[in-house]
Amino acid sequence: MTTTTADVVSAQKTRTWKSIVGNFLIRNIMVVVMLLIVAFFAYRSARFATPDNLVTILVAAAPFALIALGQTLVILTGGIDLSVGSVIAASAMAAAWSAKNLGDNPLYPLLAALLAGLAAGAINGFVVSRLNVPPFIATLGMLTLASGVAYVIGNGAPINGLPASYGVWANTEFLGFTVPVILMIVAIIVFAFVMRRTSYGLRVYAIGGNRLAAEIAGVRSKRLLFSVYAISGILAGLSGLMLSSRVSTGAPNLGQGYELDAIAAVVIGGASLMGGRGSVWGTALGLLLIQTINNGLDLLLVPAYWQDVIKGVIIVAAVAADVWASKRRT
Amino acid sequence: MPPTDVDAASQPAMLACENIKMSFGGIPVLKGVDLSLEPGTVTALAGENGAGKSTLMKIASGQYRPDAGTVYVRDRQLPMGNLKASNRLGIAIVPQELASIPELTVYENLYIGRETRTPLGTLNRRAMIGEATVKLREFGVDIDPAVQMGSLPVGMRQIIEIVKATSRGARVLLLDEPTSAIAEREVAHLYDVVRNLRDQGVAVLFTTHKMEEMRAMADRVVVLRDGQLITDSALADITDDDIVTAMIGRELENLFPEIPRHKDDVVLEATDLVIAPEAEPISFRVRRGEILGLAGLVGAGRTELIECIYGIRTPVSGTITVSGNVLKPGQPQASIERHIAIVPEDRKGAGAIMPLSVIDNATLPRLDIFSKFGVITRRKRQAAIGEAMRSMRLKSDGLGQAIENLSGGNQQKVVLGRWLTATVDALLLDEPTRGVDVGARSEIYRIITELAEEGMAVVMASSDMPEILSLTHRALVMREFSVAGELNREQLTSPDAQDTIFRLASGLETSHPTHTEELAP
Repeated sequence: MTTTTADVVSAQKTRTWKSIVGNFLIRNIMVVVMLLIVAFFAYRSARFATPDNLVTILVAAAPFALIALGQTLVILTGGIDLSVGSVIAASAMAAAWSAKNLGDNPLYPLLAALLAGLAAGAINGFVVSRLNVPPFIATLGMLTLASGVAYVIGNGAPINGLPASYGVWANTEFLGFTVPVILMIVAIIVFAFVMRRTSYGLRVYAIGGNRLAAEIAGVRSKRLLFSVYAISGILAGLSGLMLSSRVSTGAPNLGQGYELDAIAAVVIGGASLMGGRGSVWGTALGLLLIQTINNGLDLLLVPAYWQDVIKGVIIVAAVAADVWASKRRT
Repeated sequence: MPPTDVDAASQPAMLACENIKMSFGGIPVLKGVDLSLEPGTVTALAGENGAGKSTLMKIASGQYRPDAGTVYVRDRQLPMGNLKASNRLGIAIVPQELASIPELTVYENLYIGRETRTPLGTLNRRAMIGEATVKLREFGVDIDPAVQMGSLPVGMRQIIEIVKATSRGARVLLLDEPTSAIAEREVAHLYDVVRNLRDQGVAVLFTTHKMEEMRAMADRVVVLRDGQLITDSALADITDDDIVTAMIGRELENLFPEIPRHKDDVVLEATDLVIAPEAEPISFRVRRGEILGLAGLVGAGRTELIECIYGIRTPVSGTITVSGNVLKPGQPQASIERHIAIVPEDRKGAGAIMPLSVIDNATLPRLDIFSKFGVITRRKRQAAIGEAMRSMRLKSDGLGQAIENLSGGNQQKVVLGRWLTATVDALLLDEPTRGVDVGARSEIYRIITELAEEGMAVVMASSDMPEILSLTHRALVMREFSVAGELNREQLTSPDAQDTIFRLASGLETSHPTHTEELAP
């Protein structure tokens, strides 16, 4: 890092090893929390720390990863997308409908899911960026609307009896990983690159940090806002396809409540709901944290209702620790 | 350094701070400060940003607990770090950032936390409104206490805050930067309120770095620098230069650099620009290297004019051309492509993006030249922005530092310097030194003149009279979104320039008398 101090020598802070280590721990408190949780589960369950179990965690994480990435972009702009759970359902139903009615070609459900997700996201984006409706309200409306559309497509019932090709999206394996897991890993890397290294990423951070200042610096904020909701919609569409492909069924209640886990992952990852602060790596970590807790509690045979109680406590405690640490960062 | 005692006081001082020491994170902010306030006096606490003024006030009002030292109120020791106790002893503070709640009414703001109740325990609104009306009258405020706080101008809200703070019988009033946010015409009312309180025997202490404010309100000035009291003097016995020297710790021989001659070719031209409905059309030309000042009272339309030129605001009619190209209204990005740069008035709200680093802030307006196929080219921007920030003499811990951790002056250097990574033909400055301390201010003046000398046409809106008088080739005085008059360099250097500008700005005079003939060389 170049120092731009030209005429005044800034007082070099004296640093001891102890303070360096302390600082590192505080700076990466979420990693510390994650390691503690992993250590705990590994100690209590022999099956936890095995390669098979790691794959299980990744498979469970994949559909959440896609919507959490979209959510990261939206939250970085200072918005929120509450509709992703319902968009998953509507996209899954659209995909299943196309597979059943258009013919036995895996590209039909892919296109149908992407289009359904894009349509929902584009409407969100239009309402937020052009009609200036607060994102919370706009996407709350879409949550209800998309859920309704999902039931309309199936006439209130799931769509079963899908052609075998419908399963390829979730069940094909490369190098031991299924498509959703590979998609998750690729998406995290691509989004991390986009957010850190491209002008698009910087603009997203900028409008979240201060929209007026960003506009004055030449950022076209309306287009940009539109784009993040559209991306969030497309990713929810993909997630819907993966989830329904895994069970070869289109269920209108698929993805219900997933938006909350996605938001939790982003917030645990250190993002501010005010916008402008957060990162893709943080979201990935938050996502893994939640999925690891789910998986570990399953292995320890903790009853499902207690799992929710414990998860709720850990989410709030993790963010409280982050807030505590951020006050002590130097 | 202890202050010289004003008097061997027969009566105990209203407020006495003794040997106050405090540090934050190992950095000493106050290094043993003694200060005492007599009843019925107004004391200015002067000093640059970061000198420790606000910290001292927060200790005296019980918000902070100092590392060492004691505060006495009329010989009674103040329990440290206890806001309620100091309130009971009669210390009231009005903070720099207004603490009023804009959604509530004036009387609700006045009574919040100690509401008058009916025997049933519900709010007795009528009693509160009645009392509030009386109290406000005492301070010469004639408004309906049932109006919403947010609908009032900032200066009025400030005065209501003072009323609120003193209405429980305060003996000591602490004002932190009382005029930093309010319009000039409201300042006079604030002065009256402060004098009124002084005459009632209240000891008033206010922080400031504005000379006119000290002269208008204070009887005594104490200067704080690097956590120590440097000067303590009756205001009548000290010159402005001495105060400035004490504040910055060195001679400031020339706050304003010599402004260079401008060239003849026109860069920026406004033609029949109407910036608000029913305003007069505005036309002017700015030449290469010329600095055009925009003077006027707050609300006269200076900011609106700058915003119309830049394209954040769409004018009613008229055109702006830069180097012969007509600008599209309402499109900042088109203006940037035509080499226009802006430093907005509200640095926190419209200039800097606080969560981002210095380098990201500086990249934003020039993203296109720092990216290839949408990917940011790191080495190129590192080099270009490093160079620009060096020319601004930015003081930071590196380009990766978050801009929110810089001082106001350094933030301003980033907001200005970020444009210098490519050609700028026209530079628009709106209150370029607002919230910037004296030391950094002279640097910003130097930078502005250097940029003009390099060939930029500069338009600078300013409420700071010396800036208009000393740093511009020409000044337009604005009133009611129109130009009320124009002063050239000779008129700006004439002794009654300030008076002329004020008369034009306030509408006392419609055309300006010229002394050009007598004063021309």
